[in-house]
Amino acid sequence: MMDAGALMLLAFLGQQFEQRGFIENRTVAYPQTAPNDSAHVVDEMLLREEASYKFTPWFTLSGAFDARTDSHRQTARDGVVDADDRSILRPALSLRRLSATVHKGKVTAEIGRQFIRWGKTDILNPTDRFAPKDYLSSVVDSDFLGVTAARFTVESGGNTVDLVWQPWFTPSRTPLLNQRWTALPAEAAGLPLRDAGAVYPGGSQYGARWNHVGSGYEYSLCFFDGRQNLPSFDAIFTPPDFSIQFTRTYPQLRLYGGDAAVPLPWLTIKGEAAYFTSSTPGAEEYALYVIQLERQVKEWSLVAGYAGSVVTRDVASPLQFAPDRGFAKSFVGRAGFTIDANRSLAMETAVRADGSFVRFEYSQLYGQHWRATGGVAWIRGDMTDFLGEYRRNSYASLAIRYSF
Amino acid sequence: MNKLFLVAALMVPAFAQDARQIMVDVQKRQHSDSQRYEGTLEVTSGNNQLTTKRWIYQRIGSFGNSKAILRFTAPAEVKGVGLLIVNHPERASDQWMWRPAIGRDQRIALQDRSTRFFGTDFSFEDLEERDVDQYEYKLLADEGASWKIESKPRKSSQYEYSYFWVQKEHYNLIKIEAYNKKGLMRVIDYKNHESIKGIWTPRLTEVYDVTRKSRTILKYEKLEYNLPMKDEDFTLQALRRDL
Repeated sequence: MMDAGALMLLAFLGQQFEQRGFIENRTVAYPQTAPNDSAHVVDEMLLREEASYKFTPWFTLSGAFDARTDSHRQTARDGVVDADDRSILRPALSLRRLSATVHKGKVTAEIGRQFIRWGKTDILNPTDRFAPKDYLSSVVDSDFLGVTAARFTVESGGNTVDLVWQPWFTPSRTPLLNQRWTALPAEAAGLPLRDAGAVYPGGSQYGARWNHVGSGYEYSLCFFDGRQNLPSFDAIFTPPDFSIQFTRTYPQLRLYGGDAAVPLPWLTIKGEAAYFTSSTPGAEEYALYVIQLERQVKEWSLVAGYAGSVVTRDVASPLQFAPDRGFAKSFVGRAGFTIDANRSLAMETAVRADGSFVRFEYSQLYGQHWRATGGVAWIRGDMTDFLGEYRRNSYASLAIRYSF
Repeated sequence: MNKLFLVAALMVPAFAQDARQIMVDVQKRQHSDSQRYEGTLEVTSGNNQLTTKRWIYQRIGSFGNSKAILRFTAPAEVKGVGLLIVNHPERASDQWMWRPAIGRDQRIALQDRSTRFFGTDFSFEDLEERDVDQYEYKLLADEGASWKIESKPRKSSQYEYSYFWVQKEHYNLIKIEAYNKKGLMRVIDYKNHESIKGIWTPRLTEVYDVTRKSRTILKYEKLEYNLPMKDEDFTLQALRRDL
């Protein structure tokens, strides 16, 4: 039998420890094949566990761990635990987060692998520079990756200053060359393609953001200096086997940006804009902006807006993967409807001049742990359009999640 | 006849003054510097499906000058979702919601406060603590053990007016009927009152959404008043520390 001391210790530990997690199976069915991908069905399974332990009221250790596999060779088959998430394939086991948080008075410091989100809009976040994404299995539905960084936040009254230093670069994960979410140019048809990996830049990245919350508005200004987390591709023609070898590189990037949210009597206006410069030869310089309106009416949640871009230094046909800019020059909308406490509907759309995307989802909770989400996405357009190039990737999906 | 009218005319302001004084007394007797409880919410939808949720609620300050953080602890899929409410004496509160799944806080605009809060029958506005001076009151009836008081918000609200029932013995709020332009919207019953540190407190709140015919029962557990709390634990940074 445990003595009273052991029981008290267990009770103490229990109060300081928090966890949540889920296991999810997601099946995506594509009615059409793509030139570089003949699969019709892709199945992915993910186990995610997040936990934290509060050593003192001001010091917390937080961690998150992913274990995953899939039917489409998108996930590595080794058993190595990946701590920096920079691999071309998704790691089977990865340390999604491991950070220590200290907060004392107005100051919060978080050091380690963590998630940092900047910006206010929902459609596209030009200022969200410490938030690389995993686009491996979908360009239109991606998850965030953590970054290794030190973040200091000072909050006083309505003002918050955020200082971030990221010593190691974390790129966004791009779709594989031999899979459907890589849209190959017509010139590449029939040529053998080889993925030569990535050249990761050295050096650190840093950024600062000042956010002000007023009684009827919020705004922020931010600065970032580092690397573009979306790659450009160097393509080399290799004569022996007449293959094209692609290597990912990451241009230098400097950002000046800001965002604002103003609730008006009938709706809320949100805006976000950033101007990007680069010292890398051959890299474009441009501005991205988003303006959106949102409103919740009873069980409806509605968001509509426009994402735009202005190029100030143009480069002829750069070979790059840039979904953020791909969604620019788009009218974008989202609508959600809560049927009841257990059921909801959602619709999301992006409409460009020569391409469009629309997705419908229905989600239902069963009991306290199980959720099923079924969806249909329809992508149309010309091959010259960012969305249109994925026109053979319309899909139906079903995700079953058990949360614990 | 004229004399009767005069008496009635004089009685109206007297009643109005009494109603406000009653509500001032209700607020005074409910005063505490801080509050913490663990709540269990049983939501029964119009088609009789039951969902259970749990949250932890913490407040520092009191009516009209308080801050509160409410954080879901169950079911697992909403664990960590939080709401920060900053109440102001002269206007509606500021509210931000934190969703761990997207890692962002979202300001809840004033015009969106009539929306139901995360599948419960509470609207965002229902979670505010407004000061007594933000309403105009009129005593409608003395019903023996309780008073029936009409309340009209002076500031923006989803409700046109509400009827409050205040129990005379301990000045407890026992029932609210809240109306919009179309009619009755919500009925809120406060039940099982107990004295905790001298404050008469309901141990159960039942909200009935008349339109949707759904019901939420909130049971208060481990309820405590006047615990030592710090302002720094009621900020946007604190809201973001979800695990």
